[in-house]
Amino acid sequence: MAVRCQFEGSNEVGVFSKLTNAYCLAGIGASANFYSIFEDQLSETIPVVYASIAGCRIVGSMVTGNRHGLLVPNTTTDTELQHLRDHLPDKVKVQRIEERLSALGNVVVCNDYVALVHPDIDRETEEIIHDTLQVEVFRHTIANNVLVGSYAVLSNQGGLLHPATPTQEQDELSMLLQVPLVAGTVNRGSNALAAGLLVNDWAAFCGMDTTATELNVIESIFKITDAPQATASTTMRKALIDSMT
Amino acid sequence: MSHYNFKKITPVPTAKDFVDIILSKTQRKTPTVIHKNFKISRIRRFYMTKVKFTQQNFHDRLTTILSEFPKLEDLHPFYADLLNTLYNKDHYKLSLGQINMARHLVDKVASDYTKLLKYGDSLYRCNTSPALPSIDPNTRTLLVCGCPNAGKSSFMNLVTRADVEVQPYAFTTKSLYVGHTDYEYLRWQVIDTPGVLDRPFDQMNTIELQAITALAHIRAAVIFFLDISETCGLPMTQQLKIYESIKPLFSNKPLIVACNKVDVTTLEELEQNFPEKRALVAQLERDGVPVMQMSTLTQQGVMEIKKEACDRLLAMRVDAKMRTKKADSILNRVHVAMPAPRDQKERTPFIPESVLKTKEKREAEANAEAGNRGGAYGNDYSLDLNKNKNLENDEWKYDKIPQFWEGYNVADFVDPDILKKLEELEAEEEEREASGFYKYDIQEEDEAMKEIHRLAQQIREKKIINAINAKIDKPQGKAVMPRATKKRERERSVSRLRSEFEDLGVDMSDVQGCHFTRTRSTSRARPPIKRARMDSEGRVRSSSKTPRDQSGVRDVKMAKKLKKIGKKAQNAMNKDGRKGEGDRHVYDLKPKHLFSGKRGLGSSNRR
Repeated sequence: MAVRCQFEGSNEVGVFSKLTNAYCLAGIGASANFYSIFEDQLSETIPVVYASIAGCRIVGSMVTGNRHGLLVPNTTTDTELQHLRDHLPDKVKVQRIEERLSALGNVVVCNDYVALVHPDIDRETEEIIHDTLQVEVFRHTIANNVLVGSYAVLSNQGGLLHPATPTQEQDELSMLLQVPLVAGTVNRGSNALAAGLLVNDWAAFCGMDTTATELNVIESIFKITDAPQATASTTMRKALIDSMT
Repeated sequence: MSHYNFKKITPVPTAKDFVDIILSKTQRKTPTVIHKNFKISRIRRFYMTKVKFTQQNFHDRLTTILSEFPKLEDLHPFYADLLNTLYNKDHYKLSLGQINMARHLVDKVASDYTKLLKYGDSLYRCNTSPALPSIDPNTRTLLVCGCPNAGKSSFMNLVTRADVEVQPYAFTTKSLYVGHTDYEYLRWQVIDTPGVLDRPFDQMNTIELQAITALAHIRAAVIFFLDISETCGLPMTQQLKIYESIKPLFSNKPLIVACNKVDVTTLEELEQNFPEKRALVAQLERDGVPVMQMSTLTQQGVMEIKKEACDRLLAMRVDAKMRTKKADSILNRVHVAMPAPRDQKERTPFIPESVLKTKEKREAEANAEAGNRGGAYGNDYSLDLNKNKNLENDEWKYDKIPQFWEGYNVADFVDPDILKKLEELEAEEEEREASGFYKYDIQEEDEAMKEIHRLAQQIREKKIINAINAKIDKPQGKAVMPRATKKRERERSVSRLRSEFEDLGVDMSDVQGCHFTRTRSTSRARPPIKRARMDSEGRVRSSSKTPRDQSGVRDVKMAKKLKKIGKKAQNAMNKDGRKGEGDRHVYDLKPKHLFSGKRGLGSSNRR
């Protein structure tokens, strides 16, 4: 089951938190409500950690990572870095990188095997991503957007792309990423997917405004439920077409 | 002879000016600023004041016109004729009549709008007209229509939560009602329309016309209700005439004919009993209209009809959408790109063991539930609340523990260390037995001991009897009067002294001269008896005055009642053993601490 949640009234839950197969980072809010949702769903299997990056709570936009590692921008303070190292499992390598495009969450999208990055990212960064996260790295855009991290969400089982991604591009990306992909929206038609959606291989969290159709597409493509992944093109097809404007 | 002064008549402005004058006056004299943070009641009041003020001004101005303009009948024939020549009498009368009508209409509009404002529940609704139902003409819609009393509203109530009024007579639904239902992950709007009768459109009343308007303008799936049992009062032929007459409105819309009330008669039964009526329905089927059966009473077929209607409309809408220019931008979103392998590497998902385990467990539970569904009473699956208990011994899971046992709350006696305590107790007991604590010689009891036991028994019995007597003596069910307020019995008396002393064996025959025999003499002079006062006329009026407790008392019944009330009023005093509020005692009239020692500036009053 995908869970709908909010961070202090904001539906952009992906901005304030980061979810991978090995850990979950949550921004520090005024109340523990947001954190408790993750704790409730995940704490039995993976650590759920309060985190801040450069004193900001927009953790999800600032960091990128998978179960092998976590990359944080150069603005991260030493204490924050230490805090992360203390909390995450030893298998997860935490690395701070010197990158001009410091909102790593917006420029990198990855699962445990492949990563898409912003076309203008440093060569050095690309190498670090390859080494730390143990992934193949591809420079790519999504529907002519360079912020691949914002407009795509990826897990080892599936991926959701910007709603304007043409069919052909979807097929190409699917080939690169080796997972089934679908173009879709969250939060009642928002195309900022990474901001509205958090997934790993067994759990998904999305903004409170997400509609039933959106939620169904998400659950099927990320295999959160047992529905076939192609649901969007089969059983949900009519409903999807009719709900689009 | 009345005096005419037509110059005195207030000039009448032109219609446009008239409206401007009133509106600007309203603007000047009523509050003008409103903020969105105002309470809704205040916003409501704001607009209601404006409406009422405008109405009042219109009313007043029009009334002045009406009253100041002379009535033709009252005028001098000269003026009347003059007016007729100059102006035309009929026209004059008509104009005044129109003004009167206008005044009436203004009042009506105002009262309508204040009513609307009164029930406006948001600023938005105050600004728009809340009289229209909130129908979205562009969304997915099911439209329910048919002859009156065919069961349209019942269907509406079954598929939505609109809670439309259903009554067993025609035209219960007098306007359009909107409800919503879910199907295929989408929200569907269901519109309930008033019944339509078989007559030309230009003869229809406003109630029927609403249904026609909805049919004409909303692109919806139409469900036409046919009452095949004819209990609605219209024969099938007439119902089908209605169908034929509004048929042009069904073009380009998915249409389903729903044969309602199959709990009374089904199409099959109709075939047997009235083949000619069945033929009418068959005609519809030949035209390619899907005919389905349902009953809103037994709910049979209701969901099938909803599903069929939704499916047809959805297919049509999708088809229409796919033909527009936007088709490409939509199609990419219903495409699921499946990966073609590009290397031999396997990329498996990484799901922790624990997650899989809980998932399996959940699935097993769901399967068990699904497996047990069905059967005589629908659902035989019962929730097992004991299955997941975390206990030391799994056998204990299903042990039944009553909440009460022989009048005791079991939980009060639960002790986590009970087993340990029991063991300790048993060990102690064993030790005692081993040390010979319980071994004693029965022969030891001799005569002396027996006597003691007997006496002890007697004492115990006496004690019990005393306790019972004490209980009997005590006033039961009554409040015990405080000792301080208890009425003092006279304890000492000569007779008592005498009897007690005689009991003790003292000779009380000769007590002459003893000090206690010196009682007060009874021959003391009594106060003179009051005599009735008499004068020359006989009894004096004042001496015949009725006693206070009898004065003003009508009859015996009233006297009894008063006595009762009086006694009741005395109750509180009686409780303290006092006669009245004057029966009091000041224990210390001059408390020492107030009357001794030096006084400072303060007063000696203790309060």
